[in-house]
Amino acid sequence: MALKESGSAALSATHSVLVRVAAVLALIAIWQLLVLARLWPPAVLPGPGQVWDQLLAASDSGNGQGGYAGSTVLERLGVSLRRVGYGTAYGVLVGVGLGLVMGLVPVVRAVVEPFVTFLRALPPLAYLSLLVIWFGIDEEPKVYLLLVAAFPPVAVATATAVTGVNRQYLEAAHALGANRLGVITTVVLPASAPEILTGIRLAVGIAYSSVVAAETVNGADGIGGMVLNAQRYNQTAVVLLGLVVIGVTGLLIDTALLALQRAVSPWRGRA
Amino acid sequence: MGEPLVELTGVAHSYRANRVDVPALGPLDLRVEPGEFLVVVGPSGSGKSTLLRLVSGFERPTTGAVEVLGGPPVPGRDVGTVFQQPRLFPWQSVAGNITTALRWAGVPGADRPQRTRGLLAQVGLVELGRRRTWEISGGQQQRVAIARALAARPRLLLMDEPFAALDALTRERLQEDVRSLTDGERAVVFVTHSVDEAVFLASRVVVLSDRPGRVALDLPVPLPRSGVPADELRGSAEFAALRGEVAGAVRAVAA
Repeated sequence: MALKESGSAALSATHSVLVRVAAVLALIAIWQLLVLARLWPPAVLPGPGQVWDQLLAASDSGNGQGGYAGSTVLERLGVSLRRVGYGTAYGVLVGVGLGLVMGLVPVVRAVVEPFVTFLRALPPLAYLSLLVIWFGIDEEPKVYLLLVAAFPPVAVATATAVTGVNRQYLEAAHALGANRLGVITTVVLPASAPEILTGIRLAVGIAYSSVVAAETVNGADGIGGMVLNAQRYNQTAVVLLGLVVIGVTGLLIDTALLALQRAVSPWRGRA
Repeated sequence: MGEPLVELTGVAHSYRANRVDVPALGPLDLRVEPGEFLVVVGPSGSGKSTLLRLVSGFERPTTGAVEVLGGPPVPGRDVGTVFQQPRLFPWQSVAGNITTALRWAGVPGADRPQRTRGLLAQVGLVELGRRRTWEISGGQQQRVAIARALAARPRLLLMDEPFAALDALTRERLQEDVRSLTDGERAVVFVTHSVDEAVFLASRVVVLSDRPGRVALDLPVPLPRSGVPADELRGSAEFAALRGEVAGAVRAVAA
């Protein structure tokens, strides 16, 4: 019985991957057809082949330019991912901590939530200038920008999840003699984990989409820096390459987080 | 008569609804002695669950005094509770639920694995310890909930219609297991709608009147607690007579 169930689940997962691959191939085909139709000049809309050539060129450290403007695509991706990683990690720490307090203490939520919503409404470029004045032009403002972009969705998701923990579990824990800390660590956090991870998935997405903004100031070594540099020189294929790299890695990260979410909360929807 | 485990003196409880106090229970006096299996029966709304919540310390009485082991009740201290729903933590395994209860009961880490196995064995689920809670049946889940409530070796076990959601066969099997949970020290207070269940389990039955619940019948059940097969006991003339008496009292208060 269990074998049959896991067999059918594996089949549907394969099916799902096939559908996704087919969708991507269809998108590339439409893109190529648009290029062949010559609706726009190649300088405005380069084809998939040109973007692929740029990928190969920008990945070759021995091409005389060290890849693209001194760094290969992979090196740039590493730099940007490190920034996103630090920014999101700090954002998650702040977001989960703040969200937990907001969820457990209604007064704190009432006071803090307007500020969190205010921050959520601000586009990252709007507060980048302030962060540059405060922290200079090194790594700090970039990481802080990603932190500020990442923590609100985590805080809101955590607060909402904590407030919504089934009271029956809380009462059961008290009936078993749990103290407040025991209730938080053993009941509230595990019960909230699925929603917190949804918040983290949102946060990673927002941080990743903000990395180009973060790299507008002294961030030429990242993938966002490459996009900005290419835009200055009208290298549309490189701009598209940067967008594709950001989009594909973002998709992979989200898939990994979704798998993590399923792994840590297999009980979701069953109990 | 020794020191009672539970003593309710002049206890009444009201809920506030739409700015009006709605009396739910009492006033009533009740004592539960060590070793007793007290089953509380009554119609819906008679305050049976309120009575358990007062004894477990989740609610405080509007008037009167509740004492458990000589003091005001505190949830999770000296009292084990089994709810109508098992309320197992689905993010933990079957054994994990029991180990957590042992940790909260202050059992040292080194002793927990053995105590967990012992409790699982007590409810006949030793081979299911590693399973997820949603992978086992409703009856098995309720057995785990009972094992979890017994982890702290409470002197008083409160059970709030724990078998209401189970099928008839599972219910009968669990009744037979639960019947032996009292000993010279431990007492059980069990709430149910079912007259059959009450007479089978109880050493004493209390019937509560319709809202606000007051003691309408307080009846000792002198049926043998061991040595007689369950089917034989259920088919005996004494069982039928007691059943008739309790059912008559329930009908009278519900009328």
